[in-house]
Amino acid sequence: MSLAVDIIKNNGSSERFDRDKLHKSIVSVCISVRAPHGQAEATAHSVCDAVIDWLASRPEVTSADIRTIAGKHLKRYHPEAAYLYEQHHIII
Amino acid sequence: MAKKYEFDYDLIVIGSGAGGSAAATIAAREGRRVAIIESDTFGGDSPNWSDIPTKALLHVATLYDEARHGAKFGLRSATLSYNYPLIRAWKDLAVKRTGAAGNKKYYETQGIDAYVGTAHFISPNEISVNRRHLSADNFLIATGSTWAIPEIPGLDTVDHLTPKTILETIRPPKTLLIIGGNDTAVEIAQLMAIFGTKVYLVERGSRLLPEFDREVGELLERTLAEQKGITTLTHSSVVSINKEGLSKRVIISRGGSEKSVRVDEILIADHRSPSVDLGLENAGVKFTATGIKVNSHLQTNVKHIFAAGEVLGQNSHTHTALLESQIAANNIFRSSKIEMSYSINPRVIFTHPAIASVGLSEDNCNRSKRAINKSVAPLNIIARSNTADFRDGFVKIITDKRGVVIGATIFAPAAGELIHELALAIKCGLTVSDIAQTPHAFLSWSEAIRVAANKLA
Repeated sequence: MSLAVDIIKNNGSSERFDRDKLHKSIVSVCISVRAPHGQAEATAHSVCDAVIDWLASRPEVTSADIRTIAGKHLKRYHPEAAYLYEQHHIII
Repeated sequence: MAKKYEFDYDLIVIGSGAGGSAAATIAAREGRRVAIIESDTFGGDSPNWSDIPTKALLHVATLYDEARHGAKFGLRSATLSYNYPLIRAWKDLAVKRTGAAGNKKYYETQGIDAYVGTAHFISPNEISVNRRHLSADNFLIATGSTWAIPEIPGLDTVDHLTPKTILETIRPPKTLLIIGGNDTAVEIAQLMAIFGTKVYLVERGSRLLPEFDREVGELLERTLAEQKGITTLTHSSVVSINKEGLSKRVIISRGGSEKSVRVDEILIADHRSPSVDLGLENAGVKFTATGIKVNSHLQTNVKHIFAAGEVLGQNSHTHTALLESQIAANNIFRSSKIEMSYSINPRVIFTHPAIASVGLSEDNCNRSKRAINKSVAPLNIIARSNTADFRDGFVKIITDKRGVVIGATIFAPAAGELIHELALAIKCGLTVSDIAQTPHAFLSWSEAIRVAANKLA
């Protein structure tokens, strides 16, 4: 699903917010810390809902904002996954 | 030579309330290119939803209350009543007359570009407003704060009011439970009680108005109970809320035991949260959930970004935010910097009687083990107390060991006016002798200040 929110990336380009892309990244990070697949899906669903709520009054944000907000909500469900999610771009 | 970057504006002000408006106007008058961004209604909280509407309603409430209790002076007021929709219309007129509410056009006539939308930093010198990118040399963040909604089980299943929404209710509720015991909570408690609402005040601390000296909270609690029938529950917190028909059942924990109250409405007025969700991470500005950190020049850790008003995390009054805004404007554009000082900013609560303080409180001094002298003059020893038939209240003056005034608290009718004499005394380093030797008009409330000063002179 594509929400009418533009995401400004680190290199200055922008793209439309893509819920599926965010969902997949949350699922991946949950699975990489050995969360059961069902829990990873449910967590990703809740985190995506929270991010979309946050985006409601913001037509344009940065990719760093999405990472911060998603990480903040992910911490409530899976702190270990949240740590990995927030640090991932630094590690690679 | 370093390259000088060109930006759209010299200053972008985010927020058009008291913390932003003064700086925007000052900068524009000096010929700077200025933009102001507002995500809600221009003018901010004070003229639209807090100071002006609340005080307009409190004015009516005080008139009504005094008339109702006029029998002892020979007034016949048994049939006095009120029309709440007309009272609200008066409140709306007062808001409109300020000229500060919804004043987008004002900024445009000042040569300031006014934008409606949510500002979001995308880099240290650039924000996005409705997908439009605006850049500036300097920024002033004055986004204010909003009422924080506590996490109470069941609260999300019932409707609740905030100090903003209660001003728009069609009529005062029959019963109201207020979560919080701060200045806003007590003003609204008294307002609603005068119009016939049974009010419960729930405060976690040991007294109302914990930021004031102990005797203020205790006297206010007694005054509200005796004169307005308001029940204050200190050392209490709301455990859960359940819907019960058209009402709400509130479970309150107090000193280890639980108490249950059934009310029509719940007002959340516990504390405010600074509005810091504007992409500050993208600008590198340091902040926490309690506010943006600034130095004494109101400058954040990013040297071209300043902040003023309630976004700093202090429960500041409008006059404090205005002063911060003026100082920020100076510090952004001038080489001679001004430090913000909070030592002479009066704090006023517009209940009846009113409460005001300035400088240090006795509790502050005791905590820091500072040697002080204090003097308390009860109101009932001055002549005005007799002619106005008002006896509960006091003036307290705190001095250092040399007799220089360093703080004062007043609990009296017109305390909001009286406090400024003592604010000036603190600013000018006057002693209690200076005040005591100044003639104070007979039958004015300010005689109590002279009496309090005289005790220490």
